[in-house]
Amino acid sequence: MENVAIIGAGQTKYGDFPGMGVKELFAEAYLEMLQSVDRGLEQQRIGAAYIGSLSAGSGFQLGQLAPLLMGHVGLPHVNAVRIENACASGGYALYNAACAVASGKFDMVLAAGVEKMRDVSSNKGRYWLGVSGDTEYERLAGSTFAGIYALMASRYMHEYGLKREHLSMVAAKNHCHAVANPKAQFRKEITIEQAMQGVPVAHPFNVWDCSPTSDGAAVVLLCNAKIAKEFTNKPVYLKGFGAASDYLAIHDRDSMTRLLATRRAATEAYKQAGVGPEDINFAEVHDCFTIAEILAYGDLGFAEEGLAQYLLEEGFTRADGKLPVNASGGLKAKGHPIGATGCGMASEVFKQLRDEAQEPSRQIKNARYALSHNVGGSGGTAAVFIYQRGDA
Amino acid sequence: MSAHISIPMYQRAVPQRYRLTGKLCKSCGKINFPPKAVCKYCLQGASFEDVRLSGRGAVYSYTVIAGGGAPPEFETEARCKGSYPVLIVELEEGPRVITQMVNPPEEGIAIGMSVQAVFRKIYEEEGVIRYGFKFSPA
Ligand SMILES: [Zn+2]
Repeated sequence: MENVAIIGAGQTKYGDFPGMGVKELFAEAYLEMLQSVDRGLEQQRIGAAYIGSLSAGSGFQLGQLAPLLMGHVGLPHVNAVRIENACASGGYALYNAACAVASGKFDMVLAAGVEKMRDVSSNKGRYWLGVSGDTEYERLAGSTFAGIYALMASRYMHEYGLKREHLSMVAAKNHCHAVANPKAQFRKEITIEQAMQGVPVAHPFNVWDCSPTSDGAAVVLLCNAKIAKEFTNKPVYLKGFGAASDYLAIHDRDSMTRLLATRRAATEAYKQAGVGPEDINFAEVHDCFTIAEILAYGDLGFAEEGLAQYLLEEGFTRADGKLPVNASGGLKAKGHPIGATGCGMASEVFKQLRDEAQEPSRQIKNARYALSHNVGGSGGTAAVFIYQRGDA
Repeated sequence: MSAHISIPMYQRAVPQRYRLTGKLCKSCGKINFPPKAVCKYCLQGASFEDVRLSGRGAVYSYTVIAGGGAPPEFETEARCKGSYPVLIVELEEGPRVITQMVNPPEEGIAIGMSVQAVFRKIYEEEGVIRYGFKFSPA
C-alpha cells in the first residue's frame, strides 16, 4: 500500500450565504485549496475527485453533482463521483480518496464536501434533516434526528450519572473555541448557565445542545507521499484511516451509550497509523449534539465509557488543556454543512499541523499527531483519520 | 419530497404496525422485530416463524419532542399538544422498539417503568389515516 499525504486544503467560512449556491461554495473552497499548495499545482495532475454531499443543494441536482462541480472549476474530465453517507459524506469522500491514492491507482486525488442548507424554509429543511435516520420506524414514531441523540443522552444519564451541566460544558467550550476561528459560524462565547437555559428541542436537549444548519464547502488535496515534497516542505501525512457501519436504527443496536461504528473505525485507523489514543495531541470530533462529543471521548479511547464527563470537568479537552477537542468550535459552533464537515475537519487539522491556524491565539503548539472523527446520522456510519505533521 | 413513506410501503408493514408481529429465528430461537432477511442475533438464520409479541415491556430510554422540532408528519400533533414523548421500549421478548407514548404519567417518565402497547392513529397523509402502535403506562 502507498503512503498518503495531504498537500493542500481549503474551506469556505461556514454560515448563511444567500448569495452563494453549491457551485460558488465549492469553487471558493477549491481556489483556497489551490492557493495553499506551496509550490503551486498543475491542476491536470488531479486524477480523481470524491465529493461528499447529502442533499445535493437541497435536491436541485440529485444526479451527477460531482461532474457539475468539477466542470465549474475547470476540471470537466476528471473522474468524479458524489459520495453520500449523511453527515459523514465528507469523511467518506476523504476515506475513498485516501484508498484511491493508497491503492497506487492515482497519484493525486481530490476529497471534498459541500452542502447548501440555508436556501430552504425551516419546514422544508426538516424534511431533509429527517432523511438520514431510519425512516420507517424512527421517523414514524415522531422522532427527529435530535430526538435520537436525546434518547442516547437520557440513557447515558441513567447509566452513568451524566448531568445536564455536562452537556452544557460541551456547548460552552466549543462556542468559546469558535470565537477565534474566522471560518466559524458562531463566534460568540456563551456561559454554561446560558447553555442550560435554551429553548427546549428534545429532552434533555435545548437549542444550545444542537449544531446549526449551515452553508459551506471544504476541499482537501491528497497525493502519494513519494511526491509530496515536490509541492511543499510541510505535507501532512494521513497515517491512518478507518471507516465502519452499524445498524441504522437505534433500536437495533445493543448499546445506546457508544457508537460501534466509531469504535471500529478508530481501531482500524489507530492500527494503520501505529499509534494509540495517548499519542493524539488534538482532535476534531463529531459533536452534532453535545452528547455526541461525550460519546466520542469513550469511543475514540480518550476516556473509559461512562467517565467521559470528567474530562470536561477537568478542562482536559479545552483549547488550553492536555488534549484540545474541537479547537475549531466543532460542529456546534464552527457549523455543520453536512457533506462538507468531514473535509472541513481535515482542512482545520492540515492548517494546525502546519502552524497556519491564522489567528495566533488559536494555534495549537507542538502537535505531532491529530485525529478527526466524522459520524453519519446517529452512528450508522463513521470515519476516523489520524494525521502526522510532515516537517519534523 | 425527500423522506416519505408511501401508502403501499406503509401497508406492507401492517403485521408489524397493527399486531407487533415478530419473526422467530429457526436457527437461534430469538425474535427479530422489525423483521430482517437474516437474523440479527445469530447472523445466520434466514428462516423464520411469525410470533405475536405481547406488547409488554419497560422504558429503556425516553425523550420529549418539543413542538417546533417535530417531523413534518407530526406537525399538527405537536402544535396541538405542545410536545410529545418518544420512548425506546424493551419488550419482554427481547426486541427494542421506538414508539410514541400516550398518557404519560404526571410525575414524569422514568427509565424502567412498565408500559403496554396500544393501537392508535399515528398520523394522516394524503387523506389517509395511518394507524399503528403506541405505548401507554401499564
Ligand atoms: Zn438467529
